[in-house]
Amino acid sequence: MEQNSVVRFSQGVRKAIIVVLLAVFCAFMLIPLLWMVSTSLRSPLEAFTLPPAIIPTTFDLANYREVFNKVDFFAFIKNSLIVSVSATALQLLASSMAAFAFSRLRFPGRNVVFMMFLAALMIPGQVLSIPRFIIMSKAGLINNLLALILPAIFSAMSIFLLRQFMLTIPRSYDEAAYMDGATRVQCYGRIIVPMTKPAMMVMAMQTFVATWNDFYGPLIYINSVEKMTLPLGLTQLNGVLGTGNKAAVIAGVVLSLIPPLLFYCFGQRYLIEGISIGGLK
Amino acid sequence: MAVMETIARAQRRSRRRETLSAYLFLSPALLIYLVFVIFPLIIVVYLMFHSYNVITPAEWNDYKNFIRVGLDSRIWTTMLNSFKYVILICPMHIVFSILLALAVNTIKNRTAVFAVRTILYFPTLLAVSSVALAWTFIFSTDFGILNWFLGFFGVERIPWLKSSTWAYVASMIFSLWKNVGLYFLYIYIGLQGVDKSVLEAAELDGAKPARKFFSITLPMISPTLFFVMITMMIGCIQIFDEPYILTGGGPGDSTRSFSQYIYQTAFVSQNYGYACVLAMMMLVIVLVITLVQFKGSAWVSYDRD
Repeated sequence: MEQNSVVRFSQGVRKAIIVVLLAVFCAFMLIPLLWMVSTSLRSPLEAFTLPPAIIPTTFDLANYREVFNKVDFFAFIKNSLIVSVSATALQLLASSMAAFAFSRLRFPGRNVVFMMFLAALMIPGQVLSIPRFIIMSKAGLINNLLALILPAIFSAMSIFLLRQFMLTIPRSYDEAAYMDGATRVQCYGRIIVPMTKPAMMVMAMQTFVATWNDFYGPLIYINSVEKMTLPLGLTQLNGVLGTGNKAAVIAGVVLSLIPPLLFYCFGQRYLIEGISIGGLK
Repeated sequence: MAVMETIARAQRRSRRRETLSAYLFLSPALLIYLVFVIFPLIIVVYLMFHSYNVITPAEWNDYKNFIRVGLDSRIWTTMLNSFKYVILICPMHIVFSILLALAVNTIKNRTAVFAVRTILYFPTLLAVSSVALAWTFIFSTDFGILNWFLGFFGVERIPWLKSSTWAYVASMIFSLWKNVGLYFLYIYIGLQGVDKSVLEAAELDGAKPARKFFSITLPMISPTLFFVMITMMIGCIQIFDEPYILTGGGPGDSTRSFSQYIYQTAFVSQNYGYACVLAMMMLVIVLVITLVQFKGSAWVSYDRD
């Protein structure tokens, strides 16, 4: 009896320690974000004075006005949207078509092409970035958003995952469709794609976030302010401000947190699902 | 006889048609793949033997790019820096993500689990470059909140981004904040797959928590752990955004990553031929890590079903 309560007590202590440590870690995760929001809302003059603001107490929008005065912030968002939406849509189209061919059709060279696609996964982006830059400059696509969109259309990862998903769809669906006189395009568009929707959503979320956050691509291909995407635009804002009101940079960063917050609210199911697919490969 | 031949011909024709439509379905992905993967690889190999600056035509340079590799000490400095990032950052993530996953796994309240998961995962959705920009202010020696906070414990002001040693600690702190949520989630999801009845049976046999972890949980999540380690290492060896924004590679070259050096050689110094040799070295490093993945997957137990 006594021993039992000792065990229960020590278990309770352990539980309490775990909760406290987790709370400390969560504070470490949250405080930088809270600090960014609070600092951006302070007046430009005392934004960085100590003690710092963790919980917002003042609500001065001067830093936010500064962001829009110094740079065309809406243009950054528009460019980011153009790149992410078109890269995601085109990548899904091209990948689902390729996955349909790999999982549904028999043709000479199928395994060779598939293996060659998969091999692309091992090539670091940096290796490709140098020749891609040369190709883009010869094609006159430097400082053009197409330079960011076109290479993103091919993704070995999304072709692979969509193919794996399509392989789980029973062939009887296709056979029934062909029996009814459907063409291959109809079978792809009306049967396979609708049934692959969950996997497509997972891929769409991942591609969107990845292209939205890409810094290296725009850094190389984009050299005028009006064509910059959001991540590069923020460093531009930092440069424009020089030694001026740096709190505006924080305001810009806070504004850039809003789209990912929206992704998470609306797509967290697909984001988490994407992680469980990745981990179980 | 004629009928057989007609059937055979019809079959051949339908197979030819299937091949044709297969390649039509493949064509968008294949076209982009050829133009933006295969063709670039050919260019890289070609430029390794040439001097090139995009404006004037490429010139054969008698293996000078390769000779320069042996004379260029910045390669080894920056490559060593990239390995430093890997050695400092990856084990830290493994330890923290396992501890966090185990801790969250003990929580029964689903709302609390959701809240913690959201808090840990949210920073991973943000652009590295953007939040790193904000963190440069957190790390500021005189006005940063980190030094202000440490001041309560009597810690002297630390020059986080100005010292070649502390800059690595700063990178670790930043990476922990930015990335641990993703690795945590991988391992947390892996833990959900661990058979509870085995753990309970071990507990009845009097197994201590540490013993349960090392003998049951760890082997059972080893495939996930292995996947996380490899993707983490491949990502970390190519680290670019973090040092580019946080320290700019300085002081001197002390925090400059190999990726940054390739970027500089190509896009700042316009030395594309030499940069291609460096990029090829990066490719070899990544291939070696991938190869280790294939060889090393032997110690991972996949037979959990």
